[in-house]
Amino acid sequence: MAGIGTYLVRRLGATLVALLGVSTIVFLMVRVLPGDPARVIAGLLASEEEVARIRTQLGLDLPLHLQYVRFLGALLRGDLGRSARTFEPVTLEIMHRLPNTVLLAISSSLLAAVLGIGAGALAATHANTVLDYTISTVVLFGISMPVYWLGTMLILLFSIKLRWLPAAGAEGPTSLILPTVTLASFSVALVARMTRSSMLEVMRSDYILTARAKGLPEHRVIRIHGIRNALIPVITVVGLQFGNLLGGAVLTESVFGWPGMGLLLVESIFSRDYPMVQGIVLVFAFLVAAVNLVVDLAYALVDPRIHYV
Amino acid sequence: MIEMPRVFLARAYSVIVAALLVAAAAGASTFRIAVGIDPDTLDPAQMTTTTVSNMVDYVVEPLVSIDVEGKVVPQLAESWKVSPDGLSVILKLRPRIVFHDGTPCDAAAVKWNLDRILDPKVRVPMRAPLTPIERVEVVDPLTVRLVLKYPAPALIAALTMTTAGIISPDSIGRYGNTYEKIVHPVGTGPYEFVEYVKGQRLVVRKFADYWGKKPYYDEVVFRIVPEALTRESLLLAGQVDMIILPPVSDIPALKRNPRVKVLLAPSDRTIFVAINNLRPPFTDVRVRRALNYAVDKEAIIKGILFGAADPLDAPMAPSLFGYCPVGTYEYDPDRARALLREAGVAPGTQVELLTPTGRYLQDFQASQAIAGYLREVGLKVAVRTMDWPSFVATILKPPAENTTQLHLLGWAPSYLDAAQQMLQFDSSQWPRNGLATSFYKNPEVDELIAAAAREVDPEKRASLYCEASKLIWNDAPWIFLWVQRFPIVHSAEVTNITYRPNEKFYAIHAEPAD
Repeated sequence: MAGIGTYLVRRLGATLVALLGVSTIVFLMVRVLPGDPARVIAGLLASEEEVARIRTQLGLDLPLHLQYVRFLGALLRGDLGRSARTFEPVTLEIMHRLPNTVLLAISSSLLAAVLGIGAGALAATHANTVLDYTISTVVLFGISMPVYWLGTMLILLFSIKLRWLPAAGAEGPTSLILPTVTLASFSVALVARMTRSSMLEVMRSDYILTARAKGLPEHRVIRIHGIRNALIPVITVVGLQFGNLLGGAVLTESVFGWPGMGLLLVESIFSRDYPMVQGIVLVFAFLVAAVNLVVDLAYALVDPRIHYV
Repeated sequence: MIEMPRVFLARAYSVIVAALLVAAAAGASTFRIAVGIDPDTLDPAQMTTTTVSNMVDYVVEPLVSIDVEGKVVPQLAESWKVSPDGLSVILKLRPRIVFHDGTPCDAAAVKWNLDRILDPKVRVPMRAPLTPIERVEVVDPLTVRLVLKYPAPALIAALTMTTAGIISPDSIGRYGNTYEKIVHPVGTGPYEFVEYVKGQRLVVRKFADYWGKKPYYDEVVFRIVPEALTRESLLLAGQVDMIILPPVSDIPALKRNPRVKVLLAPSDRTIFVAINNLRPPFTDVRVRRALNYAVDKEAIIKGILFGAADPLDAPMAPSLFGYCPVGTYEYDPDRARALLREAGVAPGTQVELLTPTGRYLQDFQASQAIAGYLREVGLKVAVRTMDWPSFVATILKPPAENTTQLHLLGWAPSYLDAAQQMLQFDSSQWPRNGLATSFYKNPEVDELIAAAAREVDPEKRASLYCEASKLIWNDAPWIFLWVQRFPIVHSAEVTNITYRPNEKFYAIHAEPAD
């Protein structure tokens, strides 16, 4: 267990360094932009008084190093500043939106895992048959289809033509369906491909041969010995996909007007709400880092053979 | 982060409750509008965005407002009178108007509101047009006198801004409102505020004691949908009744669709290419006129803006007080070439056209077309686009550091009066003092603008602006392009949807079509 302790400390340290790096880049990103962010936030017609007020509020009247110290100090206290648009605390606005994004990410991850593992296992057990090729082709489409296009097509079919589902917003449980399918499409494909190749490898291994040799029915061979062992790399993919899902959420939320963090990020970029952009990027970075850490640790649970050194 | 699961469950729960509420409310008639901007504030005094003002207008009314042509008309004030010296304005209020909380909207309430808007303790981004007011006096319960620091004939027009909307003084300290920030506006409008869910919707309900014509729908729901294509989908799916700003390129298809109606509302936003009047060869008026003759505005409007604009025939939009049509620069590339030759501009002269992208309808695409036309007359034009902050920083550099030649810009005054438009041609407004980014200077024009700003007689004031417009048109400090239209699309099943010519829809009296 000493091994896992040291590993944990090392991983946490690396995560912190990464987060510090991200926050520094985010801090500089906003400051190196040419032009006066205060004027841009205030708008062309606003008075000089208003511009000066925003400049002070953003702390842009201080020297750069002092701004940085302030920024990090506030960050350590969990204070992400106030939105330049609504003047509400950024943390509050993010906490308001985060649950929607997490809901979408979880539902898509689940859908991607269920469909992906199912399709992958099916393709592997029917390797090189018409079924396998069909699944592989559909999966290829999933990977190739831009979220934006797929989302629009789904709206066209299910909302405009058939009028079954809401085209946008979070107006009830049915609102979740189209964004989930759209966001999951890319991950389904990856998970299915990963499951298929991992399954094929596992099915060629000796213990499968042994299982068959001792007369186990094929469906039990697949269920008990095949899928379970094939899942280890798949978990990594599902975990890593979480970061992609957050990225994909930005697009998906825009297409479906889903009131999550991705949509907030887009809105904040358009309205030049720098404190909000900083906050969201940091929270995204934190989520990705946290999920990666959890995935790494989860190996130990799935596979006792993995040791941390 | 530990709190998350609980918040998460609460959110999931609220989604379900919202769904049930929507189902329960099905008995009441609801009008649904999709807009692209999430309100930054609901405090009328703190308005910065037309769309947000447009929603707040359902709840809060100003003393005066504008009609479909942009003319100032009575609202809470039934009449007003400016003193002969222009230093005071008497406003007569309509009797028996009540706020949504039941308190009377009288002279004392109006004074409290204007005092608040002028109070430096309150953040008021659009305060400047109202600052000529020195103090507000209550003459009797239905009469207010505004005492001005100097004659300010455009003040009445400025009072039409949502910024000058009148709220109930009694609502401070209630509903979460504070003197510095209103989160639950209590006005006198045809609808009262019900709820605002960040990033999702704003709901208002019909006010039973409204003083004016009562609206048809019991409830109006504004859905917040930033993506233009998604707004269009919602309308086509029958999930909202009206949208603003669909994707411009879809306008022709929407026009052909019998299930929806497209309204391209005239607006006050002029789009132009500002020419740097201090930089040779643009110091020569012949060159500036040549640029105007070189560009086929009509063709660009038809082909690139899908008809959503009207060519400029004055340096301002027709909806502004002080507008008079002064002319056209018809498309005439031969004349442009001749003028350039006369001015000694060698073919192949390098010119750079700066343009924002995504700021105005088809801005970058239009700039590409303009560059094409300028190339036709022998100039070597490069189009450069940059992000908005960099763009603004570049065009707002003072003359000595400013290296721009041409830049595309849009300008919409915050109230419909030439006073604010004319700042663009006032040489005291060159950056850094102001936003007159073409560095145009004509002493005669400067004088006319100054005289108009003091002139109390509306007719004389209008003729001063008209006079200035003619001089400006001849001097061609801009490539005069077009007035952008404001696209509104609604279901064919509803009617009575109109607009105000300042990029606002007017759907308060919407009703079913049959």
